[in-house]
Amino acid sequence: MGDAILEIEGLTRRFGSVVANDEVGLRVRPGEVVGLLGHNGAGKTTLVSQVVGLLRPHGGSIRVVGVDAVADPGTARRCVALQAQAQAPLDGLTPKEAIVIAGRLRGMSRSASRDAAERMADELDIREWIDRRATPDGGGISGGVRRLTAFAMAAVAPVPLIILDEPTNDVDAARRRRLWNMVRRLGDEGAGVLLVTHNVAEAEHVMDELVVLDRGRAVASGSPSQLRGAEGDEMRLELSLPLDAQDPSSQEPPFRFVRRVRNGRRVLLSLAESDAATAVAWATALRASGRVEGYTLTPTTLEDAYLAATADAESIHEESAHV
Amino acid sequence: MSEAITRERREGQALPPIPERAHLGMTVWTLLRWTMAQTGAMMPLFIVVQAAIAGAVVVGFGLLVPDIDAPTAELLSTGAPTILILVIGLVLCPWGVAGARTSGTLTYQRALPVPRPLLLVADLVVWLVIALPSIPVTVLVARLRYGIEYSIDWPLLVGAFVLATIMAVSVGYATAMLLSPMMSQLVSQVMVFFVMLFSPVTFPKEQLPEWFQAVHSVLPFQAAADLLRAGLLSDRFEPSGQGLVVLIVWCLLGLIISVRAVIRRG
Repeated sequence: MGDAILEIEGLTRRFGSVVANDEVGLRVRPGEVVGLLGHNGAGKTTLVSQVVGLLRPHGGSIRVVGVDAVADPGTARRCVALQAQAQAPLDGLTPKEAIVIAGRLRGMSRSASRDAAERMADELDIREWIDRRATPDGGGISGGVRRLTAFAMAAVAPVPLIILDEPTNDVDAARRRRLWNMVRRLGDEGAGVLLVTHNVAEAEHVMDELVVLDRGRAVASGSPSQLRGAEGDEMRLELSLPLDAQDPSSQEPPFRFVRRVRNGRRVLLSLAESDAATAVAWATALRASGRVEGYTLTPTTLEDAYLAATADAESIHEESAHV
Repeated sequence: MSEAITRERREGQALPPIPERAHLGMTVWTLLRWTMAQTGAMMPLFIVVQAAIAGAVVVGFGLLVPDIDAPTAELLSTGAPTILILVIGLVLCPWGVAGARTSGTLTYQRALPVPRPLLLVADLVVWLVIALPSIPVTVLVARLRYGIEYSIDWPLLVGAFVLATIMAVSVGYATAMLLSPMMSQLVSQVMVFFVMLFSPVTFPKEQLPEWFQAVHSVLPFQAAADLLRAGLLSDRFEPSGQGLVVLIVWCLLGLIISVRAVIRRG
Protein backbone atom coordinates (compact mmCIF):
# COMPACT_ATOMS: atom_id res chain seq x y z
CA MET A 1 0.00 0.00 0.00
CA GLY A 2 1.04 3.55 -0.64
CA ASP A 3 3.91 2.89 -3.05
CA ALA A 4 1.77 2.77 -6.20
CA ILE A 5 1.44 5.51 -8.80
CA LEU A 6 -2.04 4.27 -9.63
CA GLU A 7 -4.06 2.34 -7.10
CA ILE A 8 -7.60 1.30 -8.00
CA GLU A 9 -9.74 -0.64 -5.53
CA GLY A 10 -13.27 -1.99 -5.94
CA LEU A 11 -13.99 0.33 -8.86
CA THR A 12 -17.60 0.08 -9.98
CA ARG A 13 -19.36 2.02 -12.71
CA ARG A 14 -22.76 1.30 -14.22
CA PHE A 15 -24.54 2.60 -17.31
CA GLY A 16 -28.19 1.91 -16.59
CA SER A 17 -28.42 -1.80 -15.90
CA VAL A 18 -25.04 -2.55 -17.52
CA VAL A 19 -22.14 -2.87 -15.10
CA ALA A 20 -19.17 -1.57 -17.10
CA ASN A 21 -16.68 -1.91 -14.22
CA ASP A 22 -17.48 -4.39 -11.48
CA GLU A 23 -15.27 -4.13 -8.37
CA VAL A 24 -12.09 -3.78 -10.43
CA GLY A 25 -8.75 -3.57 -8.65
CA LEU A 26 -5.45 -2.60 -10.25
CA ARG A 27 -2.03 -1.22 -9.26
CA VAL A 28 0.71 0.46 -11.27
CA ARG A 29 3.97 1.05 -9.43
CA PRO A 30 6.83 3.35 -10.50
CA GLY A 31 8.75 1.86 -13.41
CA GLU A 32 6.04 -0.66 -14.19
CA VAL A 33 4.19 -1.18 -17.48
CA VAL A 34 0.80 -2.71 -16.72
CA GLY A 35 -1.30 -4.03 -19.57
CA LEU A 36 -5.07 -3.77 -19.41
CA LEU A 37 -6.48 -6.34 -21.81
CA GLY A 38 -9.99 -7.18 -22.78
CA HIS A 39 -12.37 -7.53 -25.68
CA ASN A 40 -14.43 -4.65 -27.04
CA GLY A 41 -16.89 -3.54 -24.38
CA ALA A 42 -14.93 -5.17 -21.55
CA GLY A 43 -14.84 -1.84 -19.65
CA LYS A 44 -11.27 -0.70 -20.38
CA THR A 45 -12.07 2.78 -21.65
CA THR A 46 -14.65 3.26 -18.88
CA LEU A 47 -11.90 2.56 -16.35
CA VAL A 48 -9.50 5.00 -18.01
CA SER A 49 -12.23 7.68 -18.23
CA GLN A 50 -12.70 7.50 -14.46
CA VAL A 51 -8.96 7.90 -13.79
CA VAL A 52 -8.85 11.19 -15.75
CA GLY A 53 -12.14 12.50 -14.35
CA LEU A 54 -14.36 12.15 -17.41
CA LEU A 55 -16.68 9.79 -15.56
CA ARG A 56 -17.55 9.56 -11.87
CA PRO A 57 -17.32 6.09 -10.31
CA HIS A 58 -20.34 4.60 -8.56
CA GLY A 59 -18.13 2.80 -6.09
CA GLY A 60 -14.52 2.13 -5.13
CA SER A 61 -11.46 4.35 -5.05
CA ILE A 62 -8.81 5.67 -7.43
CA ARG A 63 -5.55 7.11 -6.13
CA VAL A 64 -2.97 8.66 -8.43
CA VAL A 65 0.37 9.33 -6.70
CA GLY A 66 -1.55 9.23 -3.44
CA VAL A 67 -4.13 11.80 -4.63
CA ASP A 68 -7.79 10.82 -4.40
CA ALA A 69 -8.73 11.14 -8.09
CA VAL A 70 -12.46 11.01 -7.33
CA ALA A 71 -12.37 13.89 -4.82
CA ASP A 72 -9.66 15.94 -6.58
CA PRO A 73 -9.76 15.13 -10.31
CA GLY A 74 -7.94 18.34 -11.28
CA THR A 75 -4.76 17.42 -9.37
CA ALA A 76 -5.02 13.81 -10.56
CA ARG A 77 -5.11 14.98 -14.20
CA ARG A 78 -1.82 16.84 -13.70
CA CYS A 79 -0.28 13.49 -12.77
CA VAL A 80 -1.66 11.64 -15.81
CA ALA A 81 -0.94 11.92 -19.52
CA LEU A 82 -3.53 10.15 -21.65
CA GLN A 83 -3.32 9.03 -25.23
CA ALA A 84 -7.00 8.49 -25.90
CA GLN A 85 -8.37 5.90 -28.27
CA ALA A 86 -9.94 8.63 -30.44
CA GLN A 87 -7.52 10.60 -32.60
CA ALA A 88 -6.05 13.70 -30.97
CA PRO A 89 -7.30 17.03 -32.39
CA LEU A 90 -4.42 17.90 -34.70
CA ASP A 91 -6.23 19.73 -37.52
CA GLY A 92 -4.50 22.98 -38.40
CA LEU A 93 -1.27 21.94 -36.62
CA THR A 94 1.95 20.21 -37.59
CA PRO A 95 3.01 17.22 -35.44
CA LYS A 96 5.80 19.36 -34.01
CA GLU A 97 3.44 22.18 -33.04
CA ALA A 98 1.05 19.68 -31.45
CA ILE A 99 3.82 18.06 -29.38
CA VAL A 100 5.10 21.49 -28.28
CA ILE A 101 1.55 22.51 -27.26
CA ALA A 102 1.22 19.33 -25.18
CA GLY A 103 4.56 20.08 -23.49
CA ARG A 104 3.65 23.72 -22.83
CA LEU A 105 0.34 22.73 -21.21
CA ARG A 106 2.40 20.66 -18.76
CA GLY A 107 4.59 23.64 -17.90
CA MET A 108 7.60 22.84 -20.12
CA SER A 109 9.54 25.74 -21.59
CA ARG A 110 9.24 26.37 -25.32
CA SER A 111 12.82 25.25 -26.00
CA ALA A 112 12.53 22.12 -23.84
CA SER A 113 9.33 21.05 -25.54
CA ARG A 114 10.80 21.74 -28.99
CA ASP A 115 13.88 19.67 -28.16
CA ALA A 116 11.68 16.86 -26.89
CA ALA A 117 9.56 16.99 -30.06
CA GLU A 118 12.68 16.74 -32.24
CA ARG A 119 14.05 13.86 -30.19
CA MET A 120 10.80 11.90 -30.33
CA ALA A 121 10.40 12.55 -34.06
CA ASP A 122 13.68 10.67 -34.52
CA GLU A 123 12.82 7.99 -32.00
CA LEU A 124 9.48 7.27 -33.70
CA ASP A 125 10.86 7.88 -37.21
CA ILE A 126 8.29 10.55 -38.16
CA ARG A 127 10.75 13.34 -39.01
CA GLU A 128 9.52 13.35 -42.62
CA TRP A 129 6.10 14.65 -41.47
CA ILE A 130 7.09 16.66 -38.41
CA ASP A 131 6.48 20.03 -40.13
CA ARG A 132 3.58 18.97 -42.33
CA ARG A 133 0.21 20.48 -41.45
CA ALA A 134 -2.75 18.24 -40.66
CA THR A 135 -5.88 19.37 -42.45
CA PRO A 136 -9.53 18.67 -41.60
CA ASP A 137 -11.11 15.34 -42.52
CA GLY A 138 -7.91 13.38 -42.05
CA GLY A 139 -5.84 15.21 -44.69
CA GLY A 140 -2.19 16.31 -44.62
CA ILE A 141 -0.78 13.49 -42.53
CA SER A 142 -1.81 9.84 -42.33
CA GLY A 143 -3.75 8.17 -39.52
CA GLY A 144 -0.60 6.33 -38.39
CA VAL A 145 1.44 9.53 -38.10
CA ARG A 146 -1.47 11.20 -36.27
CA ARG A 147 -1.50 8.28 -33.80
CA LEU A 148 2.28 8.48 -33.27
CA THR A 149 1.99 12.24 -32.76
CA ALA A 150 -0.72 11.67 -30.15
CA PHE A 151 1.60 9.18 -28.44
CA ALA A 152 4.43 11.74 -28.46
CA MET A 153 2.03 14.34 -27.02
CA ALA A 154 1.34 12.00 -24.09
CA ALA A 155 5.02 11.17 -23.61
CA VAL A 156 6.58 14.62 -24.12
CA ALA A 157 6.65 15.74 -20.48
CA PRO A 158 7.76 13.71 -17.49
CA VAL A 159 4.56 12.68 -15.71
CA PRO A 160 4.07 10.04 -13.02
CA LEU A 161 1.45 8.06 -14.98
CA ILE A 162 1.05 7.59 -18.72
CA ILE A 163 -2.12 5.91 -20.00
CA LEU A 164 -2.03 4.64 -23.56
CA ASP A 165 -5.34 3.49 -25.04
CA GLU A 166 -4.64 1.38 -28.15
CA PRO A 167 -1.50 3.37 -29.08
CA THR A 168 -0.60 1.26 -32.11
CA ASN A 169 -3.87 1.47 -34.08
CA ASP A 170 -3.09 2.45 -37.72
CA VAL A 171 0.69 2.31 -37.09
CA ASP A 172 2.94 0.27 -39.41
CA ALA A 173 4.96 -2.68 -38.11
CA ALA A 174 8.36 -0.96 -38.04
CA ARG A 175 7.11 2.07 -36.15
CA ARG A 176 5.03 -0.10 -33.83
CA ARG A 177 8.28 -1.68 -32.70
CA ARG A 178 9.81 1.75 -32.11
CA LEU A 179 6.74 2.75 -30.11
CA TRP A 180 6.91 -0.37 -27.91
CA ASN A 181 10.60 0.31 -27.24
CA MET A 182 9.72 3.82 -26.18
CA VAL A 183 6.94 2.55 -23.90
CA ARG A 184 9.47 0.26 -22.23
CA ARG A 185 11.92 3.15 -21.89
CA LEU A 186 9.26 5.36 -20.24
CA GLY A 187 8.76 2.63 -17.66
CA ASP A 188 12.48 2.09 -17.17
CA GLU A 189 12.87 5.82 -16.52
CA GLY A 190 10.45 5.57 -13.60
CA ALA A 191 7.01 6.40 -15.00
CA GLY A 192 4.06 4.12 -14.42
CA VAL A 193 2.45 3.07 -17.69
CA LEU A 194 -1.07 1.69 -18.05
CA LEU A 195 -1.31 0.14 -21.48
CA VAL A 196 -4.75 -0.59 -22.90
CA THR A 197 -4.44 -2.80 -25.95
CA HIS A 198 -5.83 -5.66 -28.01
CA ASN A 199 -2.37 -6.27 -29.41
CA VAL A 200 -1.39 -8.88 -26.82
CA ALA A 201 1.33 -10.57 -28.86
CA GLU A 202 3.29 -7.37 -29.52
CA ALA A 203 2.77 -5.75 -26.15
CA GLU A 204 3.80 -8.89 -24.27
CA HIS A 205 7.49 -8.10 -24.14
CA VAL A 206 7.05 -4.61 -22.68
CA MET A 207 4.54 -5.50 -19.97
CA ASP A 208 5.56 -6.28 -16.39
CA GLU A 209 2.05 -7.07 -15.20
CA LEU A 210 -1.30 -7.40 -16.84
CA VAL A 211 -4.94 -7.38 -15.89
CA VAL A 212 -7.58 -9.03 -18.07
CA LEU A 213 -11.04 -7.49 -18.01
CA ASP A 214 -14.05 -9.42 -19.19
CA ARG A 215 -17.54 -7.92 -19.09
CA GLY A 216 -16.47 -5.41 -16.48
CA ARG A 217 -14.71 -7.83 -14.15
CA ALA A 218 -10.97 -8.43 -13.68
CA VAL A 219 -10.82 -12.14 -14.54
CA ALA A 220 -7.05 -12.64 -14.46
CA SER A 221 -3.95 -10.73 -13.38
CA GLY A 222 -0.27 -11.35 -12.92
CA SER A 223 2.99 -11.20 -14.83
CA PRO A 224 3.00 -12.44 -18.44
CA SER A 225 4.81 -15.63 -17.41
CA GLN A 226 2.35 -16.26 -14.58
CA LEU A 227 -0.56 -15.95 -16.96
CA ARG A 228 1.09 -18.00 -19.66
CA GLY A 229 1.57 -20.84 -17.19
CA ALA A 230 4.46 -20.78 -14.76
CA GLU A 231 6.00 -24.02 -16.02
CA GLY A 232 6.42 -22.57 -19.50
CA ASP A 233 6.38 -26.04 -21.04
CA GLU A 234 2.83 -25.94 -22.36
CA MET A 235 2.21 -26.32 -26.08
CA ARG A 236 -0.65 -25.01 -28.14
CA LEU A 237 -2.30 -27.07 -30.83
CA GLU A 238 -4.38 -24.95 -33.16
CA LEU A 239 -6.87 -26.74 -35.39
CA SER A 240 -8.47 -24.99 -38.39
CA LEU A 241 -11.89 -26.51 -38.97
CA PRO A 242 -13.79 -26.72 -42.24
CA LEU A 243 -16.96 -24.62 -42.44
CA ASP A 244 -19.72 -25.89 -40.07
CA ALA A 245 -17.55 -28.82 -38.94
CA GLN A 246 -17.82 -30.39 -35.50
CA ASP A 247 -14.94 -29.83 -33.07
CA PRO A 248 -12.99 -33.17 -33.20
CA SER A 249 -11.45 -32.53 -29.77
CA SER A 250 -14.90 -32.97 -28.21
CA GLN A 251 -14.55 -36.74 -28.85
CA GLU A 252 -11.78 -37.69 -26.46
CA PRO A 253 -8.43 -37.04 -28.18
CA PRO A 254 -5.64 -39.49 -27.19
CA PHE A 255 -3.98 -36.97 -24.86
CA ARG A 256 -5.00 -34.69 -21.98
CA PHE A 257 -5.44 -30.99 -22.62
CA VAL A 258 -5.48 -28.39 -19.88
CA ARG A 259 -7.50 -25.79 -21.76
CA ARG A 260 -9.69 -25.64 -24.82
CA VAL A 261 -10.88 -22.44 -26.48
CA ARG A 262 -13.01 -22.32 -29.61
CA ASN A 263 -12.71 -19.11 -31.55
CA GLY A 264 -14.85 -19.25 -34.71
CA ARG A 265 -13.38 -21.98 -36.93
CA ARG A 266 -10.25 -22.21 -34.75
CA VAL A 267 -9.88 -24.56 -31.81
CA LEU A 268 -6.95 -23.95 -29.46
CA LEU A 269 -5.87 -26.80 -27.21
CA SER A 270 -3.23 -26.34 -24.51
CA LEU A 271 -1.35 -29.54 -23.73
CA ALA A 272 1.78 -30.77 -22.02
CA GLU A 273 5.02 -30.78 -23.99
CA SER A 274 5.35 -34.55 -23.44
CA ASP A 275 2.11 -35.12 -25.38
CA ALA A 276 3.30 -33.17 -28.44
CA ALA A 277 4.16 -36.21 -30.57
CA THR A 278 0.81 -37.90 -29.85
CA ALA A 279 -1.04 -34.67 -30.62
CA VAL A 280 0.76 -34.23 -33.97
CA ALA A 281 -0.05 -37.82 -34.99
CA TRP A 282 -3.70 -37.28 -34.02
CA ALA A 283 -3.94 -33.96 -35.90
CA THR A 284 -2.22 -35.43 -38.98
CA ALA A 285 -4.81 -38.20 -39.09
CA LEU A 286 -7.62 -35.65 -38.74
CA ARG A 287 -6.22 -33.67 -41.65
CA ALA A 288 -5.88 -36.80 -43.76
CA SER A 289 -9.55 -37.62 -43.12
CA GLY A 290 -10.60 -34.03 -43.93
CA ARG A 291 -12.00 -33.31 -40.45
CA VAL A 292 -9.57 -30.42 -40.05
CA GLU A 293 -8.14 -28.21 -42.80
CA GLY A 294 -4.80 -27.76 -41.07
CA TYR A 295 -3.04 -27.52 -37.72
CA THR A 296 -0.06 -25.87 -36.03
CA LEU A 297 1.76 -26.81 -32.84
CA THR A 298 3.58 -23.99 -31.05
CA PRO A 299 4.63 -23.07 -27.52
CA THR A 300 1.77 -21.43 -25.58
CA THR A 301 1.65 -17.66 -25.95
CA LEU A 302 0.22 -14.96 -23.75
CA GLU A 303 -2.52 -14.49 -26.33
CA ASP A 304 -3.68 -18.06 -25.70
CA ALA A 305 -3.81 -17.37 -21.97
CA TYR A 306 -5.69 -14.14 -22.64
CA LEU A 307 -8.22 -15.87 -24.91
CA ALA A 308 -8.66 -18.61 -22.33
CA ALA A 309 -9.26 -16.05 -19.56
CA THR A 310 -11.89 -14.25 -21.58
CA ALA A 311 -13.49 -17.33 -23.13
CA ASP A 312 -17.20 -17.53 -22.53
CA ALA A 313 -18.67 -19.49 -19.65
CA GLU A 314 -19.60 -22.40 -21.93
CA SER A 315 -16.05 -23.18 -23.00
CA ILE A 316 -14.76 -22.75 -19.44
CA HIS A 317 -17.33 -25.31 -18.41
CA GLU A 318 -16.21 -27.61 -21.21
CA GLU A 319 -12.57 -27.36 -20.10
CA SER A 320 -13.19 -28.17 -16.49
CA ALA A 321 -15.43 -31.08 -17.44
CA HIS A 322 -12.67 -32.61 -19.49
CA VAL A 323 -9.63 -32.14 -17.26
CA MET B 1 15.52 -12.65 -16.32
CA SER B 2 14.94 -9.09 -17.46
CA GLU B 3 11.57 -9.09 -15.68
CA ALA B 4 13.28 -9.98 -12.41
CA ILE B 5 15.83 -7.19 -12.86
CA THR B 6 13.10 -4.66 -13.62
CA ARG B 7 11.05 -5.68 -10.62
CA GLU B 8 14.04 -5.50 -8.29
CA ARG B 9 14.83 -1.97 -9.44
CA ARG B 10 11.18 -0.97 -9.11
CA GLU B 11 10.97 -1.98 -5.45
CA GLY B 12 13.42 0.73 -4.51
CA GLN B 13 11.73 3.51 -6.47
CA ALA B 14 10.05 6.30 -4.55
CA LEU B 15 6.82 7.90 -5.76
CA PRO B 16 7.47 10.82 -8.12
CA PRO B 17 6.31 14.28 -7.03
CA ILE B 18 2.99 15.73 -8.21
CA PRO B 19 3.75 17.99 -11.18
CA GLU B 20 3.31 21.73 -10.64
CA ARG B 21 0.39 23.48 -12.30
CA ALA B 22 1.51 25.24 -15.51
CA HIS B 23 1.44 29.05 -15.46
CA LEU B 24 -2.15 30.21 -16.05
CA GLY B 25 -1.26 32.83 -18.68
CA MET B 26 0.78 30.33 -20.65
CA THR B 27 -2.02 27.76 -20.42
CA VAL B 28 -4.60 30.23 -21.77
CA TRP B 29 -2.26 31.36 -24.55
CA THR B 30 -1.45 27.76 -25.56
CA LEU B 31 -5.12 26.75 -25.57
CA LEU B 32 -5.93 29.83 -27.66
CA ARG B 33 -3.26 28.88 -30.19
CA TRP B 34 -4.63 25.36 -30.37
CA THR B 35 -8.29 26.42 -30.73
CA MET B 36 -7.35 29.13 -33.24
CA ALA B 37 -5.42 26.61 -35.35
CA GLN B 38 -8.47 24.36 -35.51
CA THR B 39 -11.36 26.82 -35.85
CA GLY B 40 -9.32 29.66 -37.32
CA ALA B 41 -8.57 27.59 -40.41
CA MET B 42 -12.23 28.19 -41.34
CA MET B 43 -11.86 32.00 -40.90
CA PRO B 44 -11.97 32.92 -44.65
CA LEU B 45 -15.15 30.87 -45.01
CA PHE B 46 -16.71 32.53 -41.96
CA ILE B 47 -15.97 36.01 -43.41
CA VAL B 48 -17.62 35.05 -46.72
CA VAL B 49 -20.67 33.70 -44.83
CA GLN B 50 -20.92 36.91 -42.82
CA ALA B 51 -20.73 39.05 -45.97
CA ALA B 52 -23.43 36.90 -47.61
CA ILE B 53 -25.76 37.18 -44.59
CA ALA B 54 -25.11 40.94 -44.34
CA GLY B 55 -26.07 41.27 -48.03
CA ALA B 56 -29.16 39.10 -47.51
CA VAL B 57 -30.39 41.13 -44.53
CA VAL B 58 -29.50 44.66 -45.63
CA VAL B 59 -30.23 44.34 -49.36
CA GLY B 60 -32.56 41.31 -49.47
CA PHE B 61 -34.93 42.37 -46.67
CA GLY B 62 -34.94 45.85 -48.23
CA LEU B 63 -36.44 44.39 -51.41
CA LEU B 64 -39.46 43.25 -49.38
CA VAL B 65 -40.27 46.86 -48.53
CA PRO B 66 -41.35 48.93 -51.54
CA ASP B 67 -40.13 52.59 -51.46
CA ILE B 68 -38.03 51.99 -48.35
CA ASP B 69 -37.67 55.13 -46.19
CA ALA B 70 -34.63 56.26 -44.21
CA PRO B 71 -35.78 55.07 -40.73
CA THR B 72 -36.61 51.60 -42.07
CA ALA B 73 -33.27 51.39 -43.87
CA GLU B 74 -31.52 52.45 -40.67
CA LEU B 75 -33.31 49.79 -38.64
CA LEU B 76 -32.41 47.12 -41.19
CA SER B 77 -28.78 48.19 -41.43
CA THR B 78 -28.19 48.53 -37.71
CA GLY B 79 -30.03 45.27 -36.95
CA ALA B 80 -27.90 43.30 -39.38
CA PRO B 81 -24.80 43.08 -37.08
CA THR B 82 -27.02 41.58 -34.36
CA ILE B 83 -28.31 38.98 -36.83
CA LEU B 84 -24.72 38.09 -37.74
CA ILE B 85 -23.62 37.84 -34.11
CA LEU B 86 -26.64 35.67 -33.25
CA VAL B 87 -26.04 33.39 -36.25
CA ILE B 88 -22.39 32.98 -35.22
CA GLY B 89 -23.25 32.33 -31.57
CA LEU B 90 -26.41 30.29 -31.94
CA VAL B 91 -25.65 28.36 -35.15
CA LEU B 92 -21.91 28.24 -35.96
CA CYS B 93 -20.72 27.81 -32.36
CA PRO B 94 -23.10 24.89 -31.59
CA TRP B 95 -22.08 23.38 -34.93
CA GLY B 96 -18.42 23.56 -33.83
CA VAL B 97 -19.17 22.16 -30.36
CA ALA B 98 -21.30 19.33 -31.79
CA GLY B 99 -18.40 18.46 -34.14
CA ALA B 100 -15.92 18.50 -31.22
CA ARG B 101 -18.21 16.22 -29.22
CA THR B 102 -18.67 13.65 -31.98
CA SER B 103 -15.00 13.62 -33.04
CA GLY B 104 -13.75 13.13 -29.48
CA THR B 105 -11.90 16.48 -29.48
CA LEU B 106 -13.84 17.73 -26.48
CA THR B 107 -13.19 14.53 -24.52
CA TYR B 108 -9.49 14.79 -25.38
CA GLN B 109 -9.32 18.39 -24.19
CA ARG B 110 -11.29 17.67 -21.02
CA ALA B 111 -8.66 15.05 -20.10
CA LEU B 112 -5.85 17.63 -20.33
CA PRO B 113 -4.11 18.90 -17.19
CA VAL B 114 -5.78 22.31 -17.43
CA PRO B 115 -8.68 23.85 -15.49
CA ARG B 116 -11.65 22.95 -17.70
CA PRO B 117 -13.33 26.39 -17.68
CA LEU B 118 -10.28 27.61 -19.63
CA LEU B 119 -11.42 25.44 -22.57
CA LEU B 120 -14.57 27.58 -22.67
CA VAL B 121 -12.54 30.79 -22.34
CA ALA B 122 -10.42 29.80 -25.37
CA ASP B 123 -13.54 29.02 -27.39
CA LEU B 124 -15.18 32.33 -26.40
CA VAL B 125 -12.14 34.35 -27.45
CA VAL B 126 -11.86 32.56 -30.79
CA TRP B 127 -15.57 33.08 -31.58
CA LEU B 128 -15.19 36.76 -30.60
CA VAL B 129 -12.40 37.04 -33.17
CA ILE B 130 -14.55 35.26 -35.76
CA ALA B 131 -17.46 37.65 -35.07
CA LEU B 132 -15.24 40.75 -35.37
CA PRO B 133 -15.90 41.34 -39.10
CA SER B 134 -19.68 41.40 -38.51
CA ILE B 135 -19.81 45.12 -37.80
CA PRO B 136 -17.48 46.45 -40.55
CA VAL B 137 -19.08 44.13 -43.11
CA THR B 138 -22.64 45.33 -42.38
CA VAL B 139 -21.58 48.98 -42.10
CA LEU B 140 -19.92 48.72 -45.51
CA VAL B 141 -22.89 47.02 -47.19
CA ALA B 142 -25.38 49.52 -45.66
CA ARG B 143 -23.30 52.52 -46.74
CA LEU B 144 -23.08 51.18 -50.28
CA ARG B 145 -26.82 50.39 -50.47
CA TYR B 146 -28.46 53.24 -48.52
CA GLY B 147 -25.65 55.77 -47.95
CA ILE B 148 -26.29 55.76 -44.18
CA GLU B 149 -24.24 58.19 -42.08
CA TYR B 150 -23.18 56.53 -38.83
CA SER B 151 -22.54 58.32 -35.54
CA ILE B 152 -20.52 55.72 -33.67
CA ASP B 153 -20.08 55.73 -29.90
CA TRP B 154 -16.99 53.54 -29.80
CA PRO B 155 -16.93 52.50 -26.12
CA LEU B 156 -20.64 51.65 -26.29
CA LEU B 157 -20.26 49.82 -29.60
CA VAL B 158 -17.29 47.76 -28.41
CA GLY B 159 -19.01 46.95 -25.11
CA ALA B 160 -22.26 46.02 -26.85
CA PHE B 161 -20.40 43.85 -29.38
CA VAL B 162 -18.47 41.96 -26.68
CA LEU B 163 -21.53 41.49 -24.48
CA ALA B 164 -23.83 40.41 -27.33
CA THR B 165 -21.22 37.99 -28.72
CA ILE B 166 -20.42 36.42 -25.34
CA MET B 167 -24.17 36.06 -24.72
CA ALA B 168 -24.81 34.42 -28.09
CA VAL B 169 -21.76 32.13 -27.96
CA SER B 170 -22.31 31.04 -24.35
CA VAL B 171 -26.00 30.33 -24.96
CA GLY B 172 -25.09 28.42 -28.16
CA TYR B 173 -22.33 26.54 -26.33
CA ALA B 174 -24.68 25.63 -23.48
CA THR B 175 -27.31 24.37 -25.94
CA ALA B 176 -24.75 22.22 -27.74
CA MET B 177 -23.44 20.77 -24.47
CA LEU B 178 -26.87 19.98 -23.03
CA LEU B 179 -28.54 18.52 -26.11
CA SER B 180 -27.45 15.68 -28.35
CA PRO B 181 -25.46 16.86 -31.42
CA MET B 182 -28.40 16.15 -33.75
CA MET B 183 -30.91 17.90 -31.49
CA SER B 184 -28.71 20.96 -31.02
CA GLN B 185 -28.41 21.37 -34.81
CA LEU B 186 -32.20 21.27 -35.06
CA VAL B 187 -32.67 23.83 -32.28
CA SER B 188 -30.09 26.09 -33.99
CA GLN B 189 -32.07 26.10 -37.21
CA VAL B 190 -35.30 26.97 -35.41
CA MET B 191 -33.60 29.74 -33.43
CA VAL B 192 -32.18 31.38 -36.53
CA PHE B 193 -35.64 31.60 -38.10
CA PHE B 194 -37.04 33.00 -34.86
CA VAL B 195 -34.29 35.62 -34.69
CA MET B 196 -34.53 36.69 -38.33
CA LEU B 197 -38.30 36.72 -38.78
CA PHE B 198 -39.97 37.01 -35.38
CA SER B 199 -37.60 39.21 -33.34
CA PRO B 200 -37.66 43.03 -33.31
CA VAL B 201 -34.05 43.22 -34.51
CA THR B 202 -34.51 44.65 -38.02
CA PHE B 203 -38.01 46.11 -37.54
CA PRO B 204 -39.70 48.12 -34.75
CA LYS B 205 -41.16 46.14 -31.85
CA GLU B 206 -44.50 47.93 -32.30
CA GLN B 207 -45.16 45.69 -35.30
CA LEU B 208 -45.52 42.74 -32.93
CA PRO B 209 -48.61 41.98 -30.81
CA GLU B 210 -48.31 43.20 -27.24
CA TRP B 211 -47.96 39.77 -25.66
CA PHE B 212 -45.08 39.01 -28.04
CA GLN B 213 -43.45 42.35 -27.17
CA ALA B 214 -43.62 41.28 -23.51
CA VAL B 215 -41.89 37.98 -24.39
CA HIS B 216 -39.14 39.86 -26.24
CA SER B 217 -38.59 42.22 -23.32
CA VAL B 218 -37.06 39.26 -21.41
CA LEU B 219 -35.34 37.54 -24.37
CA PRO B 220 -31.85 38.70 -25.33
CA PHE B 221 -32.37 39.35 -29.07
CA GLN B 222 -34.05 42.77 -28.95
CA ALA B 223 -31.79 43.80 -26.07
CA ALA B 224 -28.66 43.01 -28.12
CA ALA B 225 -30.05 44.80 -31.19
CA ASP B 226 -31.01 47.95 -29.26
CA LEU B 227 -27.62 48.19 -27.58
CA LEU B 228 -25.66 47.73 -30.82
CA ARG B 229 -27.94 50.20 -32.61
CA ALA B 230 -27.27 52.81 -29.89
CA GLY B 231 -23.56 52.27 -30.45
CA LEU B 232 -23.82 52.70 -34.24
CA LEU B 233 -26.32 55.60 -34.39
CA SER B 234 -25.61 57.26 -31.06
CA ASP B 235 -27.23 60.57 -32.10
CA ARG B 236 -30.63 58.92 -32.70
CA PHE B 237 -30.84 55.94 -30.29
CA GLU B 238 -30.29 55.73 -26.53
CA PRO B 239 -29.01 52.57 -24.79
CA SER B 240 -31.67 51.04 -22.52
CA GLY B 241 -30.82 50.09 -18.95
CA GLN B 242 -33.37 47.26 -18.95
CA GLY B 243 -31.91 45.85 -22.17
CA LEU B 244 -28.44 45.88 -20.63
CA VAL B 245 -29.67 43.97 -17.58
CA VAL B 246 -31.48 41.40 -19.76
CA LEU B 247 -28.33 40.87 -21.83
CA ILE B 248 -26.11 40.49 -18.76
CA VAL B 249 -28.54 37.99 -17.20
CA TRP B 250 -28.58 35.83 -20.37
CA CYS B 251 -24.80 36.12 -20.58
CA LEU B 252 -24.39 34.86 -17.02
CA LEU B 253 -26.95 32.11 -17.58
CA GLY B 254 -25.15 30.89 -20.71
CA LEU B 255 -21.75 31.03 -18.99
CA ILE B 256 -22.90 29.22 -15.84
CA ILE B 257 -24.55 26.38 -17.80
CA SER B 258 -21.54 26.10 -20.15
CA VAL B 259 -19.00 26.01 -17.31
CA ARG B 260 -21.03 23.42 -15.45
CA ALA B 261 -21.30 21.30 -18.60
CA VAL B 262 -17.57 21.49 -19.37
CA ILE B 263 -16.44 20.58 -15.83
CA ARG B 264 -19.11 17.95 -15.25
CA ARG B 265 -18.22 14.25 -14.89
CA GLY B 266 -20.68 11.86 -16.50
